[in-house]
Amino acid sequence: MSALGSSAGEIDVRLTTVRKSFGPVLAVHDVDIEIPRGSIFSLLGPSGCGKTTTLRLIAGFEQPDAGEVYIRGDRVTALPPYKRNFSMVFQSYALFPHLSVAENVAFGLRMRKTPRAERSRAVTEALDLVKLGALAERYPRQLSGGQQQRVALARALVIKPAVLLLDEPLGALDKMLREEMQIELRSLQQRLGITAVFVTHDQEEALTLSDRVAVMRNGVIEQVGPPREIYDRPCTEFVAGFLGASNFLDGTVAAREGATAIVETAAGPIRLGADAPVGARVRVAVRPERVRMRRDGAAGLPARIRDIVYRGPVTHFYLDSAAGALVCHQQAADAGAWSVGDEVRCAWDPASAVVLSDGRA
Amino acid sequence: MKTRWALVLAAPPLAIALAFFVVPVAYLFWVSLHQPSQSELYGAALTLGNYAGILGDSFYLEITRRTLGVAAAILALCLLVGYPVAYFVALLPARRRMLVTLLLLFPLMVSNVVRAYGWIALLARRGVINAGLEGLGVIAAPLELLYTTPAVVVGLMTILLPYMVISIANTLAALDRRYEEAAQALGAGPLRTFLHVTLPLSMPGVASGTLLVLLLTLSAYVTITLLGGPRSKLLVSMIYDGVTAFQWPHAAALSFILLALALVLTGVILGVLRPARVQGTGR
Repeated sequence: MSALGSSAGEIDVRLTTVRKSFGPVLAVHDVDIEIPRGSIFSLLGPSGCGKTTTLRLIAGFEQPDAGEVYIRGDRVTALPPYKRNFSMVFQSYALFPHLSVAENVAFGLRMRKTPRAERSRAVTEALDLVKLGALAERYPRQLSGGQQQRVALARALVIKPAVLLLDEPLGALDKMLREEMQIELRSLQQRLGITAVFVTHDQEEALTLSDRVAVMRNGVIEQVGPPREIYDRPCTEFVAGFLGASNFLDGTVAAREGATAIVETAAGPIRLGADAPVGARVRVAVRPERVRMRRDGAAGLPARIRDIVYRGPVTHFYLDSAAGALVCHQQAADAGAWSVGDEVRCAWDPASAVVLSDGRA
Repeated sequence: MKTRWALVLAAPPLAIALAFFVVPVAYLFWVSLHQPSQSELYGAALTLGNYAGILGDSFYLEITRRTLGVAAAILALCLLVGYPVAYFVALLPARRRMLVTLLLLFPLMVSNVVRAYGWIALLARRGVINAGLEGLGVIAAPLELLYTTPAVVVGLMTILLPYMVISIANTLAALDRRYEEAAQALGAGPLRTFLHVTLPLSMPGVASGTLLVLLLTLSAYVTITLLGGPRSKLLVSMIYDGVTAFQWPHAAALSFILLALALVLTGVILGVLRPARVQGTGR
């Protein structure tokens, strides 16, 4: 399968202020998305956040109440799904049970009236791509979940769509297989230069697979950005909380030292890089793995260890402070020195603390 | 422990099936292998003459051909009329589908005898249709409608149609819509989605509907007798005639020929429609 041509900067999927409601429920609220060619874009959020509806709007299985959908620059808002240039991998795979693996993969080519010889060559190629060449004559019910997933992927890829839509495609696999498929999917996508939209509620999956992640809640995109930015610089409490754990501290900006703000919390002052003005009440988020514990007497927020939970590679420390409960994750190697009841000081790199935009302290 | 309980639970129905089905059928087969007798149920000598007599008789060949023709016509009509109805019933939301299913079952609550007399009132020489057409001056003499094979076909078809509709509608309603969406995502329009995906996936319903209609057609009696009259007899009518003429072994042999026919046709239908290959989901 040849690369789909990755002329940089071209937008393969664009949604402009798309809105969709089901009865009184606003499922998707004024969503704007631009997905450049050759990248994976993830829609991440809890169930009911509108991520699947957004995907179905791109596919044309749902019609938007307002806004426009573009695929490869063509306005497709009014087109039925079968006239749009996309393909889709469903959570349930939806492999046709009455067709063999090869026939399933050939289906899209048959609908496109691809000549027989070319069709069988493309099917073989697609099945080899997902390492299932040997199972071409089997039926879906004779395959394992992981194999079915690959068939669904081959069936979607063989028609060389402008955009590949993936609706929680790894959700039905067990954890080991899922992680393996994530990496495989990513390398396949990069090798073929595919543009893909990926719906998931699994934050790790979104971080692993995506070039950009959109975190959705209640039909609204709360934040869009590369995985690292979304994780390290969350804008809202929801984003900070949904992608891994976070510590939240409320306080008031007491002073500024250049780019650094000193925020007075109930447990003492903390320093962080933020442009909030003096006197502003802010909510600060700090990732648990950024928190360093020191012996009592060192600089930092005073706290007391309430609980220690061993989690293999990391150990979780649950702390009480005057500013509320805190969580600290330490590498197992550094975790042995502490015991419940120890008085500690918590500190972190000021650059790793973030002021949340919706933090009404 | 588990198997013992299963045996205990299965024993009563198995005993009933054995006593009231297997044993009588075996006995009937035994009867069919004997010469007729004037005074007894069957004569003393064993013979295959009953079967040979039927299979060698062109009259029974004609009756069998007519029976198959009627069954084929009823099946074709039930599929042609029933599938579209089932398709739209399946699209209804669950509550309304329930209601429509109930309405479809409603005619089954009326006795077949009553329904046959309803058809007689319509089709007879002085029935509603002939009287109406004559009154309008469309025809001069009454049409020959009742006591014909088409009358049997129409009469039975209307009775059996709900079985077909409900069988197909249940399968279609349970069908995961993702299959159709997957087909559309691969570029299939509505017609091709139906032909390549929906229709093949509904085969379990088509097969069970077809089998129900076929077997009920082969065993129907009242409707055939009342609407077919003496000229449009089917195999079942001949069995009845045999019994009333006290030709027990002959009637028994005819019963087994009908049973064999039903089994062969069932095999053919299952072989052609292959409902099992779409059972089990795509997951």
